Amino acid sequence: MKLVIGGCAQGKLTYVLHKYRLGEDAVWDGCLPASGEVCGKTVVIHQFHLWVRRRLLENGRPEEEILEFLKECPDCVLISDEIGNGIVPIDAGEREYRERTGRILIRLAEQAEEVERVICGIGQKIK
Amino acid sequence: MTELILGGSASGKSFYAEQEVLRLAAGTDAGKYYLATMQDKSAEGQRRISRHKGMRAGKGFWTVEQPVDIHLALEKMAGGGRIALLECISNLTANEMFAGGRCLPEKNVAEKIIRDIGALGEGLTHLVMVGCNVFEDGTVYDGATMAFIRVMGRIHRELAASADRVVELAAGIPILVK
Repeated sequence: MKLVIGGCAQGKLTYVLHKYRLGEDAVWDGCLPASGEVCGKTVVIHQFHLWVRRRLLENGRPEEEILEFLKECPDCVLISDEIGNGIVPIDAGEREYRERTGRILIRLAEQAEEVERVICGIGQKIK
Repeated sequence: MTELILGGSASGKSFYAEQEVLRLAAGTDAGKYYLATMQDKSAEGQRRISRHKGMRAGKGFWTVEQPVDIHLALEKMAGGGRIALLECISNLTANEMFAGGRCLPEKNVAEKIIRDIGALGEGLTHLVMVGCNVFEDGTVYDGATMAFIRVMGRIHRELAASADRVVELAAGIPILVK
């Protein structure tokens, strides 16, 4: 698994598709493919942060669910917005979204083969 | 040479940008121009402007006020070598996008600004541009603000792609991106 993080509107998806020579058909936007749907192919999970956000709203267990997904589908690129570089929000739900997304990304970065940060369309390898 | 300088608010971008202009100008007789885009008349805005003026004092910059149509700044410069510091892309974008209380279409604004900055660069020896990282707070703002963030993203990506050098500032420390 490879992890790509960066700010909103920084060209992360374009960067990933170009780097790994993939087409739009490899992209799952804000969702994870169901079990068995993508056997053996490289999968790009775009807007991973929105998937986390949705699972939190649905009272899911994103921390466990993503690890289960990665066991089945280790050949994937996870793309997430950096969402933590701002004022801590007043709203408790928004705080929890940032906190849990950040912790999940730390956990995923530990297990990733490679972590890149994209800024203005330029990738910086940070692991 | 074109250089894009990034970073959050108060990360030391302006000071670094000024040093870059001085470095590029050293040993040449090129004119140093500061392209000012801010048109904030509030007390807070005036304080920011004063702080920046104080920081530039004695460094030999000519200030050109150019809140929109940034390429027209060329008409206000002398001939010969010219090194310009454009400060900053956020203000320029906001001025172009929200002129007269309207919100102009994203595509038009982004393309116009990229074209104008391209034309500006053509008339200069070196161009140092200050951007701003408004992309990482995870907040979903109102439609106009989100449109502004997308336009800023596109302009920053295109400027970074064509720049010779891209530097990000963190707590005043420059980190080479490109």
